[in-house]
Amino acid sequence: MSTITLAKALNDGLRASMEGDAKVVVMGEDVGKLGGVFRVTDGLQKDFGEDRVIDTPLSESGIIGTAVGLAMRGYRPVCEIQFDGFVYPAYDQIVSQVAKLHFRSGGRLPMPIVIRIPFGGGIGAVEHHSESPEAQFAHTAGLKVVACSNAADAYWMIQQAIACDDPVVFLEPKRRYWEKANLDREAAPAPLLSSKVVRDGTDVTVLAYGPMVKTCLESAIAAAEGGTSIEVIDLRTLSPLDLEPVYASVRRTGRVVVVHEAVVNLGIGAEVAARITEQCFYALESPVLRVGGFDTPYPPSRIEEEYLPDLDRVLDAVDRSLAY
Amino acid sequence: MTLKEFKLPDVGEGLTEAEIVGWRVKPGDTVRVNDIVVEIETAKSLVELPCPYAGTVADLLVAEGETVLVGTPIIAVAPEGADVPSPQPAAEAGVDEAAAALAAQPSAPDDVAGDGVVEAGLIGGAAPGGRTSVLVGYGPRTTEAKRRPRKGAAAPDGEPLTPSPEGPAGRVLAKPPVRKLAKDLGVNLLAVTPSGLGGVITRSDVEALAGAPSPRAGTPPGTSAAPVRPGGETRIPVKGVRKMTAEAMVRSAFTAPHVTEWLTLDVTRMVELVERLKADREFADVRVSPLLVVAKAVCLAVRRTPELNATWDESAQEIVLKHGVNLGIAAATPRGLVVPNIVGADAMGLHDLAAALGELVGIARDGRTQPAQMAGGTFTITNVGVFGVDAGTPILNPGETGILALGSVSRRPWVVDGPDGEQVVPRWVTTLALSFDHRVVDGAQGSRFLADVGRLLSDPATAMLY
Repeated sequence: MSTITLAKALNDGLRASMEGDAKVVVMGEDVGKLGGVFRVTDGLQKDFGEDRVIDTPLSESGIIGTAVGLAMRGYRPVCEIQFDGFVYPAYDQIVSQVAKLHFRSGGRLPMPIVIRIPFGGGIGAVEHHSESPEAQFAHTAGLKVVACSNAADAYWMIQQAIACDDPVVFLEPKRRYWEKANLDREAAPAPLLSSKVVRDGTDVTVLAYGPMVKTCLESAIAAAEGGTSIEVIDLRTLSPLDLEPVYASVRRTGRVVVVHEAVVNLGIGAEVAARITEQCFYALESPVLRVGGFDTPYPPSRIEEEYLPDLDRVLDAVDRSLAY
Repeated sequence: MTLKEFKLPDVGEGLTEAEIVGWRVKPGDTVRVNDIVVEIETAKSLVELPCPYAGTVADLLVAEGETVLVGTPIIAVAPEGADVPSPQPAAEAGVDEAAAALAAQPSAPDDVAGDGVVEAGLIGGAAPGGRTSVLVGYGPRTTEAKRRPRKGAAAPDGEPLTPSPEGPAGRVLAKPPVRKLAKDLGVNLLAVTPSGLGGVITRSDVEALAGAPSPRAGTPPGTSAAPVRPGGETRIPVKGVRKMTAEAMVRSAFTAPHVTEWLTLDVTRMVELVERLKADREFADVRVSPLLVVAKAVCLAVRRTPELNATWDESAQEIVLKHGVNLGIAAATPRGLVVPNIVGADAMGLHDLAAALGELVGIARDGRTQPAQMAGGTFTITNVGVFGVDAGTPILNPGETGILALGSVSRRPWVVDGPDGEQVVPRWVTTLALSFDHRVVDGAQGSRFLADVGRLLSDPATAMLY
């Protein structure tokens, strides 16, 4: 057991995968010499060489396109998109090739590609550096989309994603990179495509993933002082969704709040709400409520804290849910 | 004792080197955390660097005017209270290993961005304003999140905390678990009087109407809800009125030996009487129906055959003839079958009887019938004709000796004597079915009673004979 930051846990996870499989290659902008702008690939090029940790040109489309070719030849590329807002030049490659080649080739060409995307805001960054594009990928059949929320999950999930034969969009909560957690490297990890109850509660079920998990846990602690017991579930996998633990929770609490940084309109929360309504209709004491970003482009960083869901917005939604 | 060495940090994206423009401190000076110690010039701009340590400046490791690579130690600080020894090589983990590698420094240990405490100003280290240093942006906040003070029960933007439900007019307002509860208990939500805010039906409203509190009250919703699958079956828990009905019917059917007799008759004159009474100003405030006339006829007929208004006392081995008629009316309600009775119906005039009947039916339809109104009945009428059927074999209300089923009143061909002999003409016709307890009543008495009722309905004027 050791205490480790999320960024370092990813670094260790990448290192473990590279040591375990010579076909794993890391590629992206500044991932080599610089070690990544968030230091997630720190030291990997020094230890594994320039052939396995590749500094690419500033061309996301090129990064993913190259990865498709590598995957066809049996490699397991791990691509870093430096910031969420930089992924769009690669969107065509991801949606048209990465997501479809396995299907198009009748199962002959698996695409074991991991696309790492630091996502979400909260670091006071400029435009294009704080977005939450997960729904765009979750809506694309053929991609798996997962999001880690803490160092221990990050360590295991990145290795599981690399071991997965399907393409995985791997979302990293960039503002939580320096959050520390205990990591037990001997423990058996939960399956990659599973959600997890991270705090037990009885009154309201709060669902989150990535950076919002910590926010929701803080909300649960604040609510407990007021006598409200919040159960927090970390969704972890956004496509496919793993909602059985959610249904079980909702059948006990009867109330749900879904929280994400992405805009509420047509976000992950909308799909989750629809499925809960289908599966738990008679258990619902209140409508499924959503907390998320407003329907605007991500704002300048000086006002991002007004935009991002925080403890108060989560608890306001909890109050509204309990008022029914 | 270890000296703290401050290495030239990344102060901008892609920074690899910087020139030391001027020192703001000299060896021996006392510095506090975040005191500006040096000004450097990068490819982009002049930057003042704050000191991440408190203590005494031990040494300036780089002279003014020199250009050094990122990661190069530039100043050594002795922690407070320590002597000032000569600088030693860095023993602690360097943070920015990639930068250090770029700087061609001896390579730092592997544990870079991980377990150790990261120096302020370096990526992952402390930044001013309670933040963490990053390459791009001000850095995430490290301060603890606290809930803002709250004003009473109101939500922030003036939005009312309690949602005001809006439903189309005429639709009931109830949330899904309450709808499920109502379904389980056999309660029609349309019959429930809502007590919730904005006319919302609450769980207790449903339970109150169902008579008994749900055994699931207090337990979380949905836990014992049986899922309904397409093509499968729906399992309805037997409780409340359904349970009472079932128990009463079993007890009655397997205790009292039932005999049922039938009579089909021409009730055209009764229908004419009903029409006349409806037009009568004195009856304007009450509902006049065939059921009313049948009720009156039963009250009259028991005078000749009191055995039909009796009870079998098993323990005393006696037949108890009741002196008044508490006339039960079987009513299909949202809660299920209930049989409230009109106490002393035989002593009422027709108008009073109509009023009592109207009130009883109204209360039952609203689901507000009280248990006391269902106790002490002596004879029951069940008006199955309203469902469009010709009658059936009614089962006695437990404790009673007779029950009369009234079938639908409809136009049927009927043989009548006319001036030109027998003719088939359309008439108002109905079927009566009388069940009686053969322990108390024999066929002769039962038949006489049924015939009397029949005669009163086919020729209401014969009431004059009673």
